[in-house]
Amino acid sequence: MISVRSLMASAWMGIQHDLAWTTPLASLLLQVVAPFASAMSVSIIYWFGTRFSPALTFDAARLAFVMVGSTLYAHVAAYAWVPTVAIAEGKNLAVFPHIYLTSRSTAVYVTGRMFSAFAISVATSMMALATAYYVLGSMLHAAIPLVVNPGSVALLAVALLANLPGALALGYLLGAYSLYASKFEWSLPGYVAGLLMVFSGALFSTSILPWPLSTAADYLPYTQFIAAARSAIVPGTGVDYWASIVFSLIGGLLLMGFSLWVYLAAERRARRDGVLDRRLA
Amino acid sequence: MKARALVRLWSIFGEPLWIVVSMGFPVLSSLAFFLLYYSMGAVSYVGFAVLGGVMVSFWGNVLWSMASQFNWDKQEGLFEIYLTSPASISAILIGMSVGGIIGTLPSAAIVTAFGWTLISVLQLPVPVVGSWLAVALTFALTLASLYAMGMTLSSLYLVYGREAESMNNVLQEPVSLLSGMYFPSVGTFSPFPSAVQIVASLIPLTIGMNALRLALFSTPGADTLALVFPSLAILAAMAVVFMAVSAYSLKALEYKGRKDGTISVRIR
Repeated sequence: MISVRSLMASAWMGIQHDLAWTTPLASLLLQVVAPFASAMSVSIIYWFGTRFSPALTFDAARLAFVMVGSTLYAHVAAYAWVPTVAIAEGKNLAVFPHIYLTSRSTAVYVTGRMFSAFAISVATSMMALATAYYVLGSMLHAAIPLVVNPGSVALLAVALLANLPGALALGYLLGAYSLYASKFEWSLPGYVAGLLMVFSGALFSTSILPWPLSTAADYLPYTQFIAAARSAIVPGTGVDYWASIVFSLIGGLLLMGFSLWVYLAAERRARRDGVLDRRLA
Repeated sequence: MKARALVRLWSIFGEPLWIVVSMGFPVLSSLAFFLLYYSMGAVSYVGFAVLGGVMVSFWGNVLWSMASQFNWDKQEGLFEIYLTSPASISAILIGMSVGGIIGTLPSAAIVTAFGWTLISVLQLPVPVVGSWLAVALTFALTLASLYAMGMTLSSLYLVYGREAESMNNVLQEPVSLLSGMYFPSVGTFSPFPSAVQIVASLIPLTIGMNALRLALFSTPGADTLALVFPSLAILAAMAVVFMAVSAYSLKALEYKGRKDGTISVRIR
């Protein structure tokens, strides 16, 4: 049975790990820097490509598309590192052996850490989006069309919550690898982040990918989450918000069930083989 | 220096899967920006995305395998061995740089080959018309100054504990943005105001990326070597300055660390 107390303790530990290395406000603001810079880079690529290609015209709506997409991508990619940090770094710093000694499954710990990462990432990615919106608007002299009112913000919040199962799924899968391996575990999240950049439709429509990659990309819960969240605040995306939410939620839940099964199996085997507390497995 | 370089090379080439693993993010991020240019119709700029993917491999190596390496070495207990050995810390860092550059070359080559293949398959009009001598000189001097900056960062990180990783996370993306990894960040084509361009110019990668784009994609018939010469001079000066700063700060921080008794503390 999942203990809410253990879950909350794990989430609190994640908050402490991510924010308490310096003053919490400073660390929160420093975590805004990466998604902000990422949104700026992608948006400037769009601006540069259209501004200096004679046949192309700059479209502020498309700028909004890539700016919001890259921020949401950064939000999803932030999860990719959490299980590695929680487990691999936990093994190195002797934190993880204290977790596995308890009567709870380490899945509770990973879930708690994912919850805290989710909360921090929501805050930082939204702050990054707001900052990028103002900086890009003034720097490029563009009126970036975003719909920001209580209704659109509520829809965005629903989309972010609908992505939670998908986020947990990613956490369990990467966590299962980190439980058992002490090689390449720091590079695997990089691969996942790179794959998401290409296949999540964050920067461009998945339709430009060759079939069947385009179809596979469309069915990823992360693609549907980004499409739904973007349609909540960017006008004229032509996306059916609720259909994307349903696809994101169902896809995320299915993937989460599978990933949890993989994680628990890996944990059982890792306990049996005695590698759970080994720095070099 | 040679010993540290060999250790790094052996750790990479002794496990060929490392090459496959380390190329993941550069290849995929380069592909994403390639497709971004492609999707908007700015096909003549897809080469910028490939070049950015090549250089992001080195920047990642500098940040994670140079700047914060001593922090990891402290955790593994290696740093104490460096301190007690007669070798100078600067020599160890230079060896680490040489090993890092050679070890990252396969990843950079794979990004180049992948991008080149994609450009050929899609038959895109990417004008690679520059001088290869200018490209080689610019590439070498960019790496020299970039790794010298990595040595400086490494010395500064001596005073950090686990904060080093958070600092790396903070530095990685903004430096990519300011240095114009995928678009020109200084000069006529830059979107940044002059003050930001001046700050960006203090990063060797900015000068290097700008010069590499000039060397590779300049106008046909232009004297490319003459075009990039000022950048080459700046890069050479930056390499010397960063080396001097790193040597000074290494000594100063090593002295402080020894005096305070914190230099080899594993977890702070």
